[in-house]
Amino acid sequence: MIPGRCRGGWWALGANAASFLLLAVGTQAIARGASAPWNPAAWAAPWSGDVLLVLVGLLFLGLGFLMPLHAGVLNLGIHAQFLAGFSVAAAIARVPTIGPAARAGLALLAGGAAGALVGAVMIGLRRRFAVHEVLSGLLLGGAMVPVARTLSVAPAPLPALTFELSNLPPALRWAPGLGLGHPFVLTWGILLLSLGLLLAFLFAHVLRASAPGFDLRIVGSNPLAAVAAGVEVDRVQLSMLAAGGACAGLTGALQLWGQPAVALERWPLPLAFAGLTIALYGGGTVRGVIVAAALFAGWINAPGTLVSLGSPVWGPAVALLLVLPALWNLPRLLPDQGAPRALWRTRHREPY
Amino acid sequence: MSGPKSGLRVRGLTIGDGSRWLVKDLELEVKPGRLHMILGERDTGKTALLESLAGRRREERGQVSIGDSSEAAPRDRRRAASFIAQWWQPTQLTVLERLLLAKPPRRFRIAIHRAAAEERARALAKRVGVETLVHVPVEALRPLERRLLELAAAVDESPALLLLDEPTSELGPHEARHFLGILRAVAREDGIPTLFTTTWARDGYPDADGATILWRGREPATVSTEDVTESALFERWTGGTMRRSPTGPHTAGDALLRVEDLVLEGRGRETSLAGLGFDVRAGEVLAIVGAPADGLHLLHDTLLGNRAPQRGSIQFLGKEMLGTNRRQRVESGMSFVNPPHARDQSLVDFTVEENLILGQTHRGPFARRGWLKFDSIRGNAVRSLTDFELPDAKPRERFGRLSLGARQRIVIAREVLRDPKLLVARSPAQGLSLESQEYVRKALVLQCERGSGLLWLSEDPEEALRVADRLAVLAAGKLVWLPVTETLTRQAIIDEMSGRAA
Repeated sequence: MIPGRCRGGWWALGANAASFLLLAVGTQAIARGASAPWNPAAWAAPWSGDVLLVLVGLLFLGLGFLMPLHAGVLNLGIHAQFLAGFSVAAAIARVPTIGPAARAGLALLAGGAAGALVGAVMIGLRRRFAVHEVLSGLLLGGAMVPVARTLSVAPAPLPALTFELSNLPPALRWAPGLGLGHPFVLTWGILLLSLGLLLAFLFAHVLRASAPGFDLRIVGSNPLAAVAAGVEVDRVQLSMLAAGGACAGLTGALQLWGQPAVALERWPLPLAFAGLTIALYGGGTVRGVIVAAALFAGWINAPGTLVSLGSPVWGPAVALLLVLPALWNLPRLLPDQGAPRALWRTRHREPY
Repeated sequence: MSGPKSGLRVRGLTIGDGSRWLVKDLELEVKPGRLHMILGERDTGKTALLESLAGRRREERGQVSIGDSSEAAPRDRRRAASFIAQWWQPTQLTVLERLLLAKPPRRFRIAIHRAAAEERARALAKRVGVETLVHVPVEALRPLERRLLELAAAVDESPALLLLDEPTSELGPHEARHFLGILRAVAREDGIPTLFTTTWARDGYPDADGATILWRGREPATVSTEDVTESALFERWTGGTMRRSPTGPHTAGDALLRVEDLVLEGRGRETSLAGLGFDVRAGEVLAIVGAPADGLHLLHDTLLGNRAPQRGSIQFLGKEMLGTNRRQRVESGMSFVNPPHARDQSLVDFTVEENLILGQTHRGPFARRGWLKFDSIRGNAVRSLTDFELPDAKPRERFGRLSLGARQRIVIAREVLRDPKLLVARSPAQGLSLESQEYVRKALVLQCERGSGLLWLSEDPEEALRVADRLAVLAAGKLVWLPVTETLTRQAIIDEMSGRAA
């Protein structure tokens, strides 16, 4: 549990676990109750390969919501950042002169940058025109939809990254038990998951042990005290919204490739808002987000999930369960002046 | 008199909060048209008592009757009582609109009858003396005027019981007296039994008919103000523990802070600063007393660096401070202690040790190359808690779990251990327990004896008298200097604050 965010931690954790259990068991029960004939499209569990990319997508979306949340900002512009990342990556994917692997890497990088830019635009709009970030985020999300549709390309398989093992040190090449062949294939899933986990642990460590992390926690907990302690609240919120936007934009870029796109299409709400579900089920902590991303990646790939989501009666109930933890987690996670004030605040200073 | 005939009767009222009793076996009777004061420190259950009487909080046991009913259920009390809370967000409505919120006169039951509405609002406003302000937005009013406005709006609902939670907390003593005088007149005229809470014994005189003292962990006591003088009431409340002055007088050294010709326009109907000038010297306590709306709040804001004056200069150690922010001022040797309930000086969700390093993590000794030094932070917390006599507080304990007095001690520990050249304290003991008030005063004055200057800004003349080496009253945006002698009385200060001095 991150210091400074520990109110009612165990109760919320229990409620989150119970909600997820209900979700997992409920969807299977609904699928069995539907007694649908065997439908490979519905029941197939594409565990091989794509679950890693689904996990990566959910992890980055969770971080995309969690990082600004620590600075006291509700990143409801996550959908705009996601679509911006998707659009820029799609534009790059249309350039035939770049090699497939380079194109994939460049598209992911550019997608992250586009998401970060949207985050920065949201804070810029607040500073320049006093437009609240919740409002600008939702409006930008709506505005990005036609852009993303126009630039959209058909999903393609991700190119494999192949390395010759002969380039590695001899000790590793001949190490017993590794079982690696000469051409070592590093999948994008492993690469991006490593990046996501590294980012998550780095963020948690910075938050806990560094002076800028301490400033960030002050901003998230009490902006008035942050201003009094000499912390530049806008700068901190801008950096966190840009970082969160980069995570969302990267996930958007990832949707260009077939495997994660097919799996994540099952998400019953606009996909980027999966970030809220992951962050809230994770209790607003980095460790929680990692665990929640893994659980939901498993859940979405589980046989029966698609059948239950397709049910006209139970589908909305399942979708509701995905956002239910907001009820008990958001009031706990927002700055201590309370949710309404955090949502609609217009200034950092108020009279005593 | 149009109010209830039997007033308010309370029998054996007991209110709990978690595992402790807030109010135990309270017996009380307030006749129609009478004004009754509930006196107590913070966290002694004053607000809980009012909430219970207003039917907003469930009591453990006891009986409450209002008017002719033998026992009023919470739902009946919610209908019968009018409750004015201590804090609320001022609105952009005008006084006229605010007064018509509850029952606007209508034409054909649809449209608001503008002429009748204005006439009615003016009549209501006249009752409390704000009839000239009917077109002024509520947020532009002074705190006293806002209180009077809320009183007028509450009385308009013809309540059988009027309850006010700390109505004088943001008023100067002269304003408090003015407000309580009007409250008493209105209560008498309408025959409404009226209760208000306060942390100042002086508020009972001359207007309240009776006072109930709430203590933490003791049974409440009710006395009549006709039978008991203010000093006797104060003695009974405090147990005679308060002393006049913890230390001093002090020998002043060189000037640390020099404020010259400070001019700053107030917001709304707040009094502007009109060419303020003073200096604070090393090793002395300068107390400036005034009502918040008479410029004290503006002066404090300016010293904090939150507002830039239109004219004037603030020099600290010979260096101009205008244009610098609070952090730069702190780094140059100033330190600030705000009222205990101020939200900008501590983090309730953080631990005690984290609160002790607030604003000090950008240079040693608590951080190195951007990383926190946990050993130094823990050592600092252990040392601070020992030095400031808080043996029950733990470094890793959540700050919000501590009592208000303990929290303020920790804030003072943080500010004092920086060894500042100048301490600016704004009502640092307001609303604390009497023991904590004494401790806060002593801790700050001791720092002054180590050579720091201490600027004490307060709306409470008694508090200023206890600590001041020099004293000035801030009235109408200007300073009036009063010599600190044995003969200087609270009344003399209040007279200067209200402009009644000869």
